[in-house]
Amino acid sequence: MTQTESADIIVVGTGVIGCLIAEQLLDAGHSVLMLEAGPRVERWQIVEKYRNLPPVTVTNLDAAYPPSRWAPFLDSTSATTAADYLQLEGPNARAYRQDYVRYAGGSTWHWAGICWRLTPDDMRLKSLYGVGRDWAFDYATLEPYYTRAEYAMGVCGPSDPDLQWPPIRSKPYPMGRLPFGPGEQKFTDAAARLGLKNLPAAQARNSGVSYDTRPPCCGNNSCIPVCPIGAKYDAASSLPRIEAKGGKILVNAVVYRIETGTGNQVQAVHYFDPNGQSTRVTGKLFVIACNGIETPKLLLMSADTRNPRGVANSSDQVGRNMMDQPKLVAAVTLAEPAWTGVGPVQGSSIMQTSQGAFRSEHAGALLRFNNMARSRLGAMQALKTGLVGKALDAEIRRLSACTAELTLEHELLPNPNNRLTLSSKKDALGIPKPNIYYDVGPYVRKSAEIYSTPLVKQLAHEMGATDVKVTTEFTNSDHIMGGMIMGADPADSVVDVDCRAHDHANLFLPGGGAMTTAGCGNSTLTMAALALKAADAMVAQLAHA
Amino acid sequence: MLRRALFGIAWLAIASPQAMAADIDPLVAQGDYLAKASDCTACHTAPGGKAFAGGLAIASPVGTIYSSNITPSKTAGIGLYTRDQFAAALRKGVRRDGANLYPAMPYTAYAVLSDPDIDALYAYFMKGVEPVDGAAPKTSLPFPMNIRLSMMAWNLIFLRDSGLPSDPAQSAAWNRGRYLVEGAAHCSTCHTPRGFLMEERSGLAFAGGQVGAWYAPNITSDKNSGIGSWSKPALIGYLRDGVAPGARAAGTMGEAIEHSFQYLTPSDLDAVVTYIETVPAVENAKPGDRFDEGKPASDLASTRGAVIDDATQGAALFQGNCASCHAPLGQGGTDGYFPSLFHNSTTSAPNSNLVATILYGVNRTTAQGQAFMPGFGGAPTDSNQLSNHDIALVATYVRAEYGGSGAAVTDTEVATVRQGGPSSPLVLIARIGLGVGVVAAMGLVVVLWRRRHRLGAKRGFGE
Repeated sequence: MTQTESADIIVVGTGVIGCLIAEQLLDAGHSVLMLEAGPRVERWQIVEKYRNLPPVTVTNLDAAYPPSRWAPFLDSTSATTAADYLQLEGPNARAYRQDYVRYAGGSTWHWAGICWRLTPDDMRLKSLYGVGRDWAFDYATLEPYYTRAEYAMGVCGPSDPDLQWPPIRSKPYPMGRLPFGPGEQKFTDAAARLGLKNLPAAQARNSGVSYDTRPPCCGNNSCIPVCPIGAKYDAASSLPRIEAKGGKILVNAVVYRIETGTGNQVQAVHYFDPNGQSTRVTGKLFVIACNGIETPKLLLMSADTRNPRGVANSSDQVGRNMMDQPKLVAAVTLAEPAWTGVGPVQGSSIMQTSQGAFRSEHAGALLRFNNMARSRLGAMQALKTGLVGKALDAEIRRLSACTAELTLEHELLPNPNNRLTLSSKKDALGIPKPNIYYDVGPYVRKSAEIYSTPLVKQLAHEMGATDVKVTTEFTNSDHIMGGMIMGADPADSVVDVDCRAHDHANLFLPGGGAMTTAGCGNSTLTMAALALKAADAMVAQLAHA
Repeated sequence: MLRRALFGIAWLAIASPQAMAADIDPLVAQGDYLAKASDCTACHTAPGGKAFAGGLAIASPVGTIYSSNITPSKTAGIGLYTRDQFAAALRKGVRRDGANLYPAMPYTAYAVLSDPDIDALYAYFMKGVEPVDGAAPKTSLPFPMNIRLSMMAWNLIFLRDSGLPSDPAQSAAWNRGRYLVEGAAHCSTCHTPRGFLMEERSGLAFAGGQVGAWYAPNITSDKNSGIGSWSKPALIGYLRDGVAPGARAAGTMGEAIEHSFQYLTPSDLDAVVTYIETVPAVENAKPGDRFDEGKPASDLASTRGAVIDDATQGAALFQGNCASCHAPLGQGGTDGYFPSLFHNSTTSAPNSNLVATILYGVNRTTAQGQAFMPGFGGAPTDSNQLSNHDIALVATYVRAEYGGSGAAVTDTEVATVRQGGPSSPLVLIARIGLGVGVVAAMGLVVVLWRRRHRLGAKRGFGE
């Protein structure tokens, strides 16, 4: 006998998108049931797990979040484990090793908290530069939702319009900007000498004061993999508030099927518990917010006679246009100490290099100073030299202080060939693993060759670099976008302007997958803004029902 | 000069009539000051509500009571009160319609307020406060607490009927300090322990009392048990900023500083301290200075990387929840924002304050800025929710490691603080209305309301 659950709104996924929507709907008086595939753990347990890790796992930022058997995700522990879940292919397969976690609270557990907005130009690539797509609405339509998202998460940022990106805002940031650490200041000064402006990042991190029930940042510099004090917004911090408002959260509930019915409305979702026991969950509206990989996977898995290509997929665009910001990294050795690591792991970026007429020819790029403390990396490297005693100490100090990392993140165009499909390989519950083909394409490669790499070398030398090594293999930025692309035309897009599936009136697919273009900045704030817009549409839809 | 004049005009143009009244009428300004000194806002302004419009829900053992609207609204507030009716409410606990107030309103302390100060407060509440016509929710309590007349008996026993005559043997500052401490600031309401009838126990004035979840410690001049070891500047700094060597204000005292003490003039703060320093010493704690216990310590070397079991869970909880701010040795921050956990009265004293601080956190704003520590589950919306057992483990660990005391905290103690502090069997007597117990229980119940109101606000009951 199949068990059943029910609520007005069923939200699959407890990350930032699911949580923002759940709270909006609860505030409007509706019942909400959230389903989370992974487990729920306390912050201190993650903090302690992280601090107890052996130093060799330093490059695996997910190591504090071991995947559960029933809710697997990419495990970066080794090349073997990394290849187990996500099936990656194509010229840039390595660049789609997306780090996300399937835990209650989702991947904001280990995000940097950066909250860039798209610019008006980022949303009109086709009409301005003849590449990519145009959004179905303009920046002015999105702006109020950006502001609401900033207040919902608690974003700090500069009050000086000269330092804002873009300086088109209806309200000030809820909190003032955080100061730069010495390394970021050095980078900022070098950029200024080259005529470039390194901007203080808008970030979902409490600066100087508390926000909601969370304390101000005190600079632990472990935002990735976890803020130990909750000064950085993460969706996990809102779970108790959602429950206090009456929301119900079921964990270890792996949704594997979306069931459609009359009028192609969604009737139910079905989930497995860790033992494979199935439960059917009914509701009025359904939100699938499992991130840009798990959501298209679930849509494709749910193919039925009404929707033979998968739920929401009459356009054949589900799982296509997979985007991220392909990343290159410059390893820099400096003559003088930069003292990386004071403050949060990221706090600024040069944004102006993402914009310009060149976008008809090649991608723009965001350039930034990676402020993640380098003491562990320095120590590991120094130990390899065979030095001992005071000489070892001195080398650790030198490598920690006098090395730095600059990061280049490129704008990728939506390309239907960058595609997620279902692999023939199955996970422990018999659910297909995602297969993704990925090619960053000539638009990005050209940028790296003639634009971004020369620029970052110039910046490094201006900082006083004695050595600069820029990678040539693109890597992931973990900003998963495009798989449920938004558009006005149901023939070539998956969701409408409210993230509602064109094919199903009561199914919402908000988040990064709905983004029409990617820009160069981190995607979360745009995802959150789309989530709030979708929540408004849901409240209106229930009011008319 | 011209610029200043222009600014003045602009300011007047946008200022409300009430603000102007306070600006122009010295009596209104004096009343504003006295209202702050009396911390009226603590009860009469609900969180997020309009000033003095009441409606703060106060959790009590016998039901919820709501603070009243004391704005000059003629329909919902006290706009129709004459000066003498206002005075009777403050000093005798009698409403305009003749009904008795519950001593959730501290009229037993306000009884000492002078006639000129009553005049000033009246002027302020009539002219300096914005009228709000929204009525606060009505308080509706079960029998026998609904019989307000029975308060007369309690008043006969516990309400003093005159002010405080000046003591010519003492300085003007001492007399002013006594007037503020015994009257407006009503310090003894929390800091003096209660007897069976919930009266303030004679001979134990300011020796420390339980205030719901929090403990208001001994503030007598005893060097070990009280604050006799503090310098005068330290005491003044504490009342103004909430910070002193070895002590930080949180809970109800944090709010008293935020809403009241920080606004006192330097001479009034000096007066308060002058008087408090002369309060007769009461020794009621173990030997040793409660502000100087404990030492830096860390179990990181033995626990990092080790398997967590029952014996090491306290250390793991400390490292995962506390050490990221209070530092691995418990030494706090270099700039003093994060207090050290040793040489700290909260970790050394065997009262409820360590558990209350962990559960409810700290949120105190003064001219020095905000001091904030998140609660770990005292409010259902706290982002980190620790169980009673985990709080007991970490509190036991902190006491032993940093507080210089081996006293273990039990799960039951945490549960008690979480539900708002210890209750009393007298409440039960009141509930079942046992003859002679009723009047005494009435006293208990109303005093408990008074003592718990701020806790209620903290726990979200005000919403």
